[in-house]
Amino acid sequence: MKLEDLNPRRDYSSFMDLDEGWLSRRIFHDQDIYEAEMRNIFARCWLFVAHETQLPKPGDFLTTYMGEDAVIVCRQKDMSIKVFINSCPHRGNRVCFADAGNARRFVCNYHGWGFDTAGRLQGMHEEYCYDPGDIDKSKWGLRQVAKVGSYKGLIFATFDPGAPSLEDYLGDYRWYLDCIVDNDEGGTELIGGCIKSIIPANWKFGVENFIGDAYHAGWTHDSGTRAMNDGNPFPPVDMENSFHASANGHGHEFGLEGVGNIFLLGRPKVMDYYCSVLRPRMAKRLGEQRSMIFGSVASASIFPNVSYLPGISTFRTWLPKGPMHLELRTWVIVNRDMPDEIKDEIATGVMQTFGPGGAFEMDDGENWENCTVNNRGVVTREERLHYRCGIGRKLDHPEYPGTIYRGQYNDANQRGFYRRWQDLMNAGSWADVPDRGGNRLKGRETRDLHKGLLSL
Amino acid sequence: MNAVIQETEKLPVASSDLVCEIQQLLYREARLMDAERYDEWVEMLADDIHYHMPGIETRYRRDKTDQVTDLKRMAYYNDGLEDLKKRLRRLETGTAWSEDPATRYVHMIGNIEVEHTAKADEYRVYSTFIAYRNRNERDEDCLYGNREDLWRRSPTKGLQLVKRRIILKQNVLLSKNLNIYL
Repeated sequence: MKLEDLNPRRDYSSFMDLDEGWLSRRIFHDQDIYEAEMRNIFARCWLFVAHETQLPKPGDFLTTYMGEDAVIVCRQKDMSIKVFINSCPHRGNRVCFADAGNARRFVCNYHGWGFDTAGRLQGMHEEYCYDPGDIDKSKWGLRQVAKVGSYKGLIFATFDPGAPSLEDYLGDYRWYLDCIVDNDEGGTELIGGCIKSIIPANWKFGVENFIGDAYHAGWTHDSGTRAMNDGNPFPPVDMENSFHASANGHGHEFGLEGVGNIFLLGRPKVMDYYCSVLRPRMAKRLGEQRSMIFGSVASASIFPNVSYLPGISTFRTWLPKGPMHLELRTWVIVNRDMPDEIKDEIATGVMQTFGPGGAFEMDDGENWENCTVNNRGVVTREERLHYRCGIGRKLDHPEYPGTIYRGQYNDANQRGFYRRWQDLMNAGSWADVPDRGGNRLKGRETRDLHKGLLSL
Repeated sequence: MNAVIQETEKLPVASSDLVCEIQQLLYREARLMDAERYDEWVEMLADDIHYHMPGIETRYRRDKTDQVTDLKRMAYYNDGLEDLKKRLRRLETGTAWSEDPATRYVHMIGNIEVEHTAKADEYRVYSTFIAYRNRNERDEDCLYGNREDLWRRSPTKGLQLVKRRIILKQNVLLSKNLNIYL
């Protein structure tokens, strides 16, 4: 066994050349690179941990992971949220074994150390065995994360006290994120609980697929598209009027036709609702542009490991489980103000398309698995992977925030994701992480910027 | 008085002939699924079938959240006949690349119990399954679970599956997908 290097400062730039458009396959396989990712990316970035509506009442909790650190996310009496490590400071045992529920306290099974819902140590079994001076209970609570933040219902946490504010971390990406989390007055909710599955693939393959890979959809998912939609093929992509938008590693690829993803969901009632009821409201709230971006053939990821499909309504996180496995957690995201019938239709559609047995999801895992495991070959893993598609199609768009490329069949957002990956992996702290033009809307409520940069 | 009412409401025990008939039916169904003979499998399904496999979260015993019968919760399958046919159409397109080469399946069905219901032509059937999949070189997994079915005898089509609830014993699905019916 080797001793873990707690401050690995390596130059990770040699694993990719994003101006040329290639990556080393080693970043999808190497154990040391993976460990550095846990420290330099997952222990630093803001990570999605819950949606506000999953924890409506004081004492409501759920358990998840930040990187490979198990955490409890818990609603407090004052309705704030605390996030703390799910590990007893006495011997390290887990203190909560449920996925979710409501608790008055968390008690360790080993020696009965009990913690309140804020993670404070309250007492323990046979407390008399501790003499005065043995333990200061106020100092031996469950380890809290550095910061908890919320953006329009999505709760994030970070272990790094030096991390920028959540708003600055999301930066210009908020303009795109609003398409799904702020397109109607009542906000959103995750409905029906969570489906979890293991895919023997590197976590980055899931994220990069959703951040920009519209290209795979028409081929990989030809069978799923035809199955769900009476034999019709994947909707045509208009390379003139579709885009990649990337902001500090987050990315959204989209068209402007407004209906492609909704069509792929395969639920005609949902299409009617979006087109006749929601779209006019969305146009008023977010502006005409975003009301047509929403619902188009589109996919998106928030750096480092959250993805969603606006209009199809799957919302998911890719939890890293070693370099060659990920745990996929998926939810259905809907607007709270939708009629129940529409919510049910969306939930059914999501399960049929993007559940583990879904007509689309089924084909993805197999691809990512084989993209990952092939790198066991020492010669194979020294080879490069091609990420140059559309590299010349960058444009200065007058309205769209972020770094914009024309044509949604493109590797641009993937390059943006790995640019951020490289920046974080090379940085000693957040102070070394450059802003690559991803926060021009700083300090502004992005909902109101109907014309994006032109509204400034 | 009460005892008499309960006695008259009590349903007869399923005869060995009926149990045998239904065992054979479930084995045949498993054999069709092993061979991806889905056209014939669909013929065994009633027009009003509800095929349901809920996602099961890990919860504390005191937590009374209904994870099984609440149809608004996330499910791997929550399908009617048209929904199942849609899923099956994926294989028929010829472009389901990840299904070629084909997966090798075995469904093993056991612990079969048959009960009469209040309706003379409907039977409640409990069973367990082990479903094994193997793909390509060494890709394999195994799913274990319980099923609760309702089968209805139709005068023209024989026994048809009206309801199936499948409870998989995994919290995190330890498989990359579910290209399988249970």
